[in-house]
Amino acid sequence: MHGRVRLGLALIAMAVCADAQIAGPTAWQNDLSPIPSSDWNYDFAAHLLSRAGFGGTPEEIQVLAKMTSAQAVARLVRFEGTDASHLPAFDHSGIHDPGLEPFPPSRPAVTDLAKEKGEALGIKVKAGGNRRMQPIVDEFFYWLRASVLETNRVAYWWANRMLTSPQPLREKMALFWHGHFASNEAKVRDYRKLLGQLEIFQKQGMGNFRDLTVAVAESPAMLSFLDAGVNVKGASNENFAREIMELFTMGVGHYTETDIREAARAFTGWNYDDLKFVVNKEQHDDGEKTFLGKTGRFDGVEVIDIIMQQPATADYIAAKIYRYFVREDLSPALQKQLGAVLRDNHYEIAPLLEKIFLSRDFYSPASVGTRIMGPVELAVSTYRKLGATNIPGVPDFNSETGALGQQLFSPPTVAGWAGGQSWITPGLLLERANFARDVLFPDISFLPPDRFTGGGEIRRVAERIREGMDISTATKDDTKSGARAESNLKADRDEDFNTRYGSFRGSQMAIERVKPIPRDTAQVNLSRLVMKEKLANTTQVVGYLVRRFMRVPPNDATRRKLVAFLDKELGTSDITAAQTYMEQPLRLVLHLIMSQPEYQLS
Amino acid sequence: MSRKRFSFSESSRRDLLRAGMYGVCVTAGASIPLPAFAQAAAQAKADGKILVVLELSGGNDGLNTLVPYGDDAYYKHRPNLGIPKNEVRRIDDHFGFSAGMVGFERLYKDGKLAIVHGCGYANPSFSHFTSMAYWHTAAPNSGEEYGWVGRLADTMAPAAPPNFLVNIGARQSLAVRSHRHVPVVFDDPNKFSQEKFYDEREVLDSVPDNGGVQNPTRRFLLDTARSAKDASVLVREAWAKYHSPVDYGITGLDLPKVVALIDAGMPTRLYYTSYRNNAFDTHVFQNDVHKRLLTYASDAVSAFLTDLDRIGRANDVVVMIFSEFGRRVPENVNLGTDHGTANLMFVAGKSVMGGQYGAIPSLTKLDAGDNLIHTTDFRRVYATMIDGWLGVRDTRTLLNGDFEPFAMFA
Repeated sequence: MHGRVRLGLALIAMAVCADAQIAGPTAWQNDLSPIPSSDWNYDFAAHLLSRAGFGGTPEEIQVLAKMTSAQAVARLVRFEGTDASHLPAFDHSGIHDPGLEPFPPSRPAVTDLAKEKGEALGIKVKAGGNRRMQPIVDEFFYWLRASVLETNRVAYWWANRMLTSPQPLREKMALFWHGHFASNEAKVRDYRKLLGQLEIFQKQGMGNFRDLTVAVAESPAMLSFLDAGVNVKGASNENFAREIMELFTMGVGHYTETDIREAARAFTGWNYDDLKFVVNKEQHDDGEKTFLGKTGRFDGVEVIDIIMQQPATADYIAAKIYRYFVREDLSPALQKQLGAVLRDNHYEIAPLLEKIFLSRDFYSPASVGTRIMGPVELAVSTYRKLGATNIPGVPDFNSETGALGQQLFSPPTVAGWAGGQSWITPGLLLERANFARDVLFPDISFLPPDRFTGGGEIRRVAERIREGMDISTATKDDTKSGARAESNLKADRDEDFNTRYGSFRGSQMAIERVKPIPRDTAQVNLSRLVMKEKLANTTQVVGYLVRRFMRVPPNDATRRKLVAFLDKELGTSDITAAQTYMEQPLRLVLHLIMSQPEYQLS
Repeated sequence: MSRKRFSFSESSRRDLLRAGMYGVCVTAGASIPLPAFAQAAAQAKADGKILVVLELSGGNDGLNTLVPYGDDAYYKHRPNLGIPKNEVRRIDDHFGFSAGMVGFERLYKDGKLAIVHGCGYANPSFSHFTSMAYWHTAAPNSGEEYGWVGRLADTMAPAAPPNFLVNIGARQSLAVRSHRHVPVVFDDPNKFSQEKFYDEREVLDSVPDNGGVQNPTRRFLLDTARSAKDASVLVREAWAKYHSPVDYGITGLDLPKVVALIDAGMPTRLYYTSYRNNAFDTHVFQNDVHKRLLTYASDAVSAFLTDLDRIGRANDVVVMIFSEFGRRVPENVNLGTDHGTANLMFVAGKSVMGGQYGAIPSLTKLDAGDNLIHTTDFRRVYATMIDGWLGVRDTRTLLNGDFEPFAMFA
């Protein structure tokens, strides 16, 4: 009887242990002092690499595990012993034409400009004949489409850095800042500005937060995204000032509406000229402002410096960084401590990260295996664990992560991505499993989205034009009967130009000039992994795959189902017998593993 | 105009027992459990009435939506952005809709559209996120964690049956965050499915048990997996079966999906959808783009009602439309408008008593920031949906205060 009780307790202990993953003691929660170096092990190293990077293969984890904890963290945070100079710079397609800048805000604005000046976007109104503004409208749609396609190439370039850089934290931190200082292609409409901003995140993302904020505030991408260009003396636009305080630095509740108006005055005249930051002196309000209790003839940079003096700023930023890397819920006391670390280090980001990644709190059960990976992280870490050496073209990285709720350069709003549990809905959870399937079993009917124009209307126009139809007929709407919606009636106008034709022609021009994304599939070879590890039976294979791919393993019942599944698919549990035909069954079982709810955890 | 006062009469007390909440009945703060047969009867009666919430995200400019063309002050505040008298779609001698809103004009004239003036709250926030959170939780200037639609679901169906609450969108809205329900959240019905090979079905069709799981994030994932399993097949089949001749216009928003689910007999009582991506945040050059957005929204909503008629459910569904704030009354120098305060709300449906509700806010007596002073607490409109439409009498607990419903339903 006594023995059975003990056995029962042991089983419960095992179950709890499996749930919590391999973490330190519960008492470590909220303790920022460094972990004892004697506790450093493979599981801690795996946890570190999954959070301070995008995970890795067992070999990569082993490299960190063999170091001391301080060395491992220094390698990730200080880049010690790493060299990323071999990573290629972005390869521009060369799609930007002189004359496109300043790019008007809308198609009507372009045609109004053309009417007024006789030219727009560097193209003259036709001397005579039909649809005299058509080439200008075509060019407008060309740039819209080309910038989208080239932005998707920038996203690929960045994702490849996340995958292959020996300094993964630089990229992961850049991803954090991209969500923090969010701006998107849909509004900015210029891949060059977005690339420029990304390079700021990559170069300065682990440096000084004050300098980073100034650099971002002066970046054409942000100036354009927040309409700073229209914030002028005597008629300030508050969008920019409000978001700087609410989202980028202090958070709500630490300033008044008056502070926003005064700050907006300080930012008047800030603008960009193509890719350069400029301050238009005549439009800048040089008068006295009272901002957060201080009075002076402040300019934008001085306003940022005053913001940096507020205790709320360090608390807010430190807590947001902590939530991104560690866990969603943190106590007010811990937030204060983290804010103090940032303040004491004069807003240098690296010391804060070092403190976090070495802390007992980071390795406590509350932190380990409790974070939901964002879609980009999920995709990159999947490829890393598979041992891929580049981001495959099939499936399309941007479509897949976009379907999961996070397409690079397309944060939904100025607040970026909400993160945490908001990454997951019933719909999105299923989509995540479908992503794994698209990687392991590439679709043989895959259509590259940068070549195949998916919009039904554009395709319909293209087909009719090729059949020799005139533009007016080719661009007519197809709705045959019943009441027509007002918006469809309006789109049929055809005067100086035809919008639907322009939309088709612009897509065609963009495809001609934007370089294609290579469409290779993931080079997966699970059989080789299994052979290399000398795994003898299906139980060992499932154990190996679970440990390699999951930070939180599934429960025992699921594990048994996985083994039974593999037995059935192989027709045996003996790997030696099945080694010549096991690739497909192994991929199936890996798909099942990646479909588990727990696969989302890091 | 219809501004009848709501009174809690004997007959509505009986209605409460017939149509009200099942599970608990709350009067004067006391909880009295209903007998089982009453619960069943209440559910049977209440079944069928559906609320759809449509959010216009970004802060819709109400003044250029329903234009007060009869008020000179409007044109003084908006010398460039003001919509000329001859362009508006007049509904009376004071107001007219933006030019493209043919759909709303028709709904109004058919008596199926209620316009509620001056909706807002005290000490308004000018931040999209903060103000939207206030509207989502129905709790301005508080830290309420759960959404008002989520709490409503908790009250209507405390046992949290599957598929009671649906949120169509890329992400879950705070509005549907619930104690008990896991809302069904999906975007594209065609993709709301687990793609699986034949052999994989046995493993993938089972959701792991969450018993004994301590890790709260893991529990959340397991609960979500269960909700996905409960809903995905139904949603996909409903969408595959749905073929409508109704023209929803350029976007249709997510309203055709709602019709598909209703037509397929989903037990959903609460739907939440939005016009996404802060679209209505028109700081610069707003005229063309705003007109277009309104046209799309108006097309979609009127098509939605037509489509509901087609499937014979027009009497059972009401759609409530809101935005997190209006825009500032004077235009800005960039031919746009900045974040403001009070705004219109709309309620559309065949069961709605069309007309105008609430006092019209003054265009001459503005607050210090040149904003409208709200005349109607937006929670009164929520109360109208909760009580007047869905028959849940205890709006006080749900909304943390007394908000008098409008008599908007016959």
